[in-house]
Amino acid sequence: MTEQEKLTPQSTASEGVSRREFLGALAVAGAVAAFEQLAANPQAVLAAYEEQIVQGTLAQSSADLKALDVLERMRIELLRALQKPVGERRWVMVIDLRKCIGCHACTIGCVAENKLPPGVVYRPVIEEEFGTYPNVARRFIPRPCMQCENPPCVPVCPVRATYTNAEGIVEMDYERCIGCRYCLTACPYSARVSDFGFTYTEEIPVIQGLLGTQTADDYERAPNFEYGKEYARQGRNSPVGNARKCHFCQHRILEGVLPACVTTCIGRATFFGDANDPDSLVAELIASPNVLRLREELGTEPRVYYLK
Amino acid sequence: MSDKPLLPEQEQPESCALSRRDFLKLSAATAGTAALLGSLPTFGQLLARGESPSGNSPLSKPERQIHTVCLQCNTGCAIKVKIWEGVASKIEGNPYSPWTLHPHLPYTTPIAETGSVEGALCPKGQAGLQTAYDPYRIVSVLKRRPGTKRGEGQWVTISFEQALDEIVNGGDLFGEGPVEGFKDVYALRDAKVAKAMADFVKRIVDEKDAEKKRALVEEFKTTFAADLDKLIDPDHPDLGPKNNQFAFIWGRLKNGRGDLVQRFVKGGLGSINANGHTTVCQGSLYFAGKAMSEQWDGSKFSGGQKFYWQADLKSSRFVIFVGANMFEANYGPPLRVTPLTEGAVDRGLRYAVVDPRFSKVASKAWKWLPIKPGEDSALGLGMMRWMFENDRINKRFLSAANKAAANAIGETSWTDSVWLVHIKNGKPGKLVRGSELGLVTRQTETDKDGKEVTVYVTEDGTKFKFDPFVAMVEGVPTPVDPNSTELPVYGDLFVDTTLQNAKGETITVKSGLQIIRESAFEKTIEEYAAIADIKPSDIIELAREFTSYGTQAAIDIHRGASQHTNGFYTSFIFFTLNALIGNFDHKGGMSKPTTYDRLGSRAKGPFELAKMNNGANVPFGLDILRTTISYEKSTIFNGYPAKRPWFPLATDIYQEDLPSIGDAYPYPVKIAMFYMSAINYALPAAHKMTEVLADPKKLPLIITSDILVGETSMYADYIFPDLSYLERWEFHGTHPSVTYKVESVRNPAISLPGWPMVKVYGQEIPLSFEALVLGIAERLDLPGFGPNGLGEGVPFIYPEDFYLRMVANLAYGEKEDGSDGVPEADDREVEIFLKARAHLPKQVFDPERWKAIVGDEKLWRQTIYVMNRGGRWQGEGKDYKGNMLANAYAKQINLYQEKTATTINSMTGEPFAGYPRYLPPHLSSIGEPIEDGDEYPFTLITYKEITMTKARTITNYWLLSVMPENSLLMNAVDAQRLGLRNGDLVRVSSASNPRGVWDLQNGSELAMVGKLKVTQAIRPGVVAFGLGWGHWASGSRDIVIDGRTIKGDVRRQAGFHANAAMRTDPVLQNVTLTDLAGGSAVFYSTKVKVEKA
Repeated sequence: MTEQEKLTPQSTASEGVSRREFLGALAVAGAVAAFEQLAANPQAVLAAYEEQIVQGTLAQSSADLKALDVLERMRIELLRALQKPVGERRWVMVIDLRKCIGCHACTIGCVAENKLPPGVVYRPVIEEEFGTYPNVARRFIPRPCMQCENPPCVPVCPVRATYTNAEGIVEMDYERCIGCRYCLTACPYSARVSDFGFTYTEEIPVIQGLLGTQTADDYERAPNFEYGKEYARQGRNSPVGNARKCHFCQHRILEGVLPACVTTCIGRATFFGDANDPDSLVAELIASPNVLRLREELGTEPRVYYLK
Repeated sequence: MSDKPLLPEQEQPESCALSRRDFLKLSAATAGTAALLGSLPTFGQLLARGESPSGNSPLSKPERQIHTVCLQCNTGCAIKVKIWEGVASKIEGNPYSPWTLHPHLPYTTPIAETGSVEGALCPKGQAGLQTAYDPYRIVSVLKRRPGTKRGEGQWVTISFEQALDEIVNGGDLFGEGPVEGFKDVYALRDAKVAKAMADFVKRIVDEKDAEKKRALVEEFKTTFAADLDKLIDPDHPDLGPKNNQFAFIWGRLKNGRGDLVQRFVKGGLGSINANGHTTVCQGSLYFAGKAMSEQWDGSKFSGGQKFYWQADLKSSRFVIFVGANMFEANYGPPLRVTPLTEGAVDRGLRYAVVDPRFSKVASKAWKWLPIKPGEDSALGLGMMRWMFENDRINKRFLSAANKAAANAIGETSWTDSVWLVHIKNGKPGKLVRGSELGLVTRQTETDKDGKEVTVYVTEDGTKFKFDPFVAMVEGVPTPVDPNSTELPVYGDLFVDTTLQNAKGETITVKSGLQIIRESAFEKTIEEYAAIADIKPSDIIELAREFTSYGTQAAIDIHRGASQHTNGFYTSFIFFTLNALIGNFDHKGGMSKPTTYDRLGSRAKGPFELAKMNNGANVPFGLDILRTTISYEKSTIFNGYPAKRPWFPLATDIYQEDLPSIGDAYPYPVKIAMFYMSAINYALPAAHKMTEVLADPKKLPLIITSDILVGETSMYADYIFPDLSYLERWEFHGTHPSVTYKVESVRNPAISLPGWPMVKVYGQEIPLSFEALVLGIAERLDLPGFGPNGLGEGVPFIYPEDFYLRMVANLAYGEKEDGSDGVPEADDREVEIFLKARAHLPKQVFDPERWKAIVGDEKLWRQTIYVMNRGGRWQGEGKDYKGNMLANAYAKQINLYQEKTATTINSMTGEPFAGYPRYLPPHLSSIGEPIEDGDEYPFTLITYKEITMTKARTITNYWLLSVMPENSLLMNAVDAQRLGLRNGDLVRVSSASNPRGVWDLQNGSELAMVGKLKVTQAIRPGVVAFGLGWGHWASGSRDIVIDGRTIKGDVRRQAGFHANAAMRTDPVLQNVTLTDLAGGSAVFYSTKVKVEKA
């Protein structure tokens, strides 16, 4: 039996490897062994981090996290951030344009996660070409909601259906939204879209011998879990008729899962985390000399940073 | 119009019993705004109470996830499918696998802990739901309506049982006269007779004397007089039995099902024709790898693997990609993207991209080299010349002439580059043997079993079991045993001399490396640069950089280099360059694929599936692609050129299947079954395939296994519905770039509601490819299937009878004592395994039945452990031993190939060259350059957008929302000259398709007209289009089933497909250009005209 197998949550305190031993492994053992344990058991990791926070040894193990896939490092940092009171964490996203390969996995991953219908996209990727042959460049810019600190979309809402929550995410309240689209116009980043209630398969016939839409739209009508609720696409029910936007997948965040666009990023160009945690990857990244934000001149103070 | 109300839920009566979904929705509503963020307890608090903040992301629970494998392209990423009430709702990367997380999770991570851990996945992988839930998927067997022609799109539904009866028994199935069924083609049924015939045929083909050969044929006819009616042609027994007149042709087939196909076609029906699609992908790359990996077995070079090497990117410091589109295709995303993006930004990796198009991977490269299509080998040879001239080669590695020498200097692989080669009339031929020079004398001795054996003995008494090869060691000819672990030989690198042979004659010899050097020196760097239309300084810069990182540099090639008439030699050149720096088996150098054994052969159990096949038929004879017997040895040899080319160095020549059937050469085919194939869409000059498909006289019976009415299926006589990749079993294997030992298990994640179940051998299984095979097997009582299919009392009736045993083999490991088996699933893991599959019907998942198949409780728990992780993955860090790859190739690399050099090109009668050499691209089958004149000024190339996988992703609307259609890319300079503007509709035509159309052979034509995209990101004179659009089936056009018209979806018609413009061979006329050495179909050299449509 390996070390990891012993590290079940039940066993951390009483049997097998204790929390303290686990911390010991983090501090003194070779990087690989420690990381295997880290990755093996997030709850043990979380417990270990609690203790590290108490002991003030956090920075030390943060350095070790660098041997992990950044997705794992960020996930562990997310678990750490979730320990803090809501108001003390500040979610930011960092997009390294040098690593974005224009694959659109984030666009589709987001569509799949949030069950977005035709015409609704939270995170497009804009492709551009510059130069003259043979001196050519191509650039790919993912454009999620900027989750502005001063969001122009919020004050224009006549029914207060959109607001900034305690963690800095600009949320939608689908139950309040009347679909007036003021917010769509107000957003300088075009990050909001209307849901007109379409599905991808609605025009396709059902006939003997073919699967047809009775089954084929099951995945489209399965619920999303936006804002921690269960929105199956049914009739004219929300979110049909509402304004829709990126929310950093907060339903996932709260479960300790990174946003869908982050985990599916095959170039590892998208980073997410708590900027208030000085040891977090995102905190490191936004201190880079090549950092920028879109349309700074508007004073919107985006929480999405780009590395050029 | 839709038969279904647009929004059916609205009309559902209130009184309906609440579904679970509704109930949950209600509960969510009741909870109402209490679920707002601010009021939620923190994660930590919840965790302390042992709760999860439920309702936020319920799909993150491991009980709602099944780990399986993607098949949206052939990268085969491990995935996990998140399931909501039986519906596949979201797909993520499987973090246990090195495909989607770098490094991947330790294998022993409890499954209960990984519900919220996700690896990365490309957009096609994300969109896979739309492949499974495609409304155009067929759910009944379709038969071509009698009285209508193939391709007309008129179908009738027919029961599975009746369809099987018809294809097995034949008859007047379409009112067009009698059609032979499987019972007629399955002529030779006695395995003993087949074996005896096969042995005799081997004698016939091995006989070199024409007269004796004829006499042997007569003797054969006497010996097998009673069974001659079972042969295709008794006067040519080497064509084999009538059974060979069934051809199974596959597009995308993976192991598991691949093993099933071998069992069905060869062991069952006794046909030699189980033909793959390799040459449409990168055949010449694979078969260059095969030729380079042939090993000396003591009497001949054999056992070459159909494979190739790729760079271990995560540790490379410099890489040149040639014709490899790593961010969009080529088994790149997501597997190889992260090491490149992170490497380039964080790790100082430099890479160059050689490609006429400025691809996405080129956009991040240190250097882009927009080379002239097809002239990659000029770049390679130019680099090679510079490396020789500047002494930038790894002499230490190259001097090692055998295994002992390699091992002594810390290498695992070695080359034959210092072995001596005969030069006759200036041409390199056979390798020199020790006895020729009197280095050894032939003696006979008695071995320990009392058997007389031949040995070759040197003057000092050293014994060789065969006549050894020879290397020059400080000017002295020295015998070499390639596989010796005791007698290291380090040879002189460059040898060009004459020697006295044992008969006192003077012979000219050179070392292989000398021959390669001379090949590279045939032209100057300036001349090579002129050929490739690049700068000489580009060649030098790449060569200098390539030789500046020790063994942590690599040249990584893919189909861009391979799909030319010179593809074999281009691949050979670039692998040779890698050998010149000695990077094979080195960290950051060249890596080979490594998988766990699913067949139980290495551990001799627990299920040795290859042996669990009593009474298997023995297929023999010539395949329709002419790869199993060489032309000169066959009884149908008739001088040069042959009627159609033969392929002694390659197999799976996809472009030759249908033209060969059309020409009835080497013999007519009666029944063809296509599996996951769009052969008349995917191939260059694919419209020529349709001509054969549409003609029942040329091909009397076509059966396809498909998930919809696809481009090939539309010409079928019968289409049997298949399961999508989310509903079935397979073992996806690996790629050379994966340095870990792995095997992934594709297994049913969902079952579509109401999916038809059919009976085989009295049991219900899902309508599927397996059902088709088992149904035929049942009707013909084929060996290897049914109640005793896997041995006496061991049934093969359910798909999992076969596949689950393979998983058990993976779980058990490769040691006979089971000591490298995986851990056993604990109770929690078992619980998750069962709960995750609770939505599957009993015909698909029955834990009791499954457990009974595996048998042993321990092995069952180990099997669950593998299933829970979607495969078996070697641990992070286990792939290196110091600076070397742990899963090393560790064998000989042939830089001079005697076998290739002694193989005859069936069209020219000349031998192939056994060394890397320059050949112009774009030659006809008789080796002549093709000149199509100024009327066709552009070179047409293809590429992949990341959103498309050739024929099969047009059904994915999410992908189409990103890129609804493709375009023809043209440089702005060219567009301006032609007066064309961005967005113009343009027609593509060529000398072999001057009208620029697809003739669908059903009275309709499809113009090769697409939108022009004017860009700077392509070499002037070259035009390119992304593959995957321009469909004429797959739900894009109307079809009629049982008299009712089903409207096609115009979204699926978008874009265009210009493969029909690709050049047909001027000699053969009905097939694309082909590399006769490596078999590749030519994609990138046709000259076309582009004009406003």
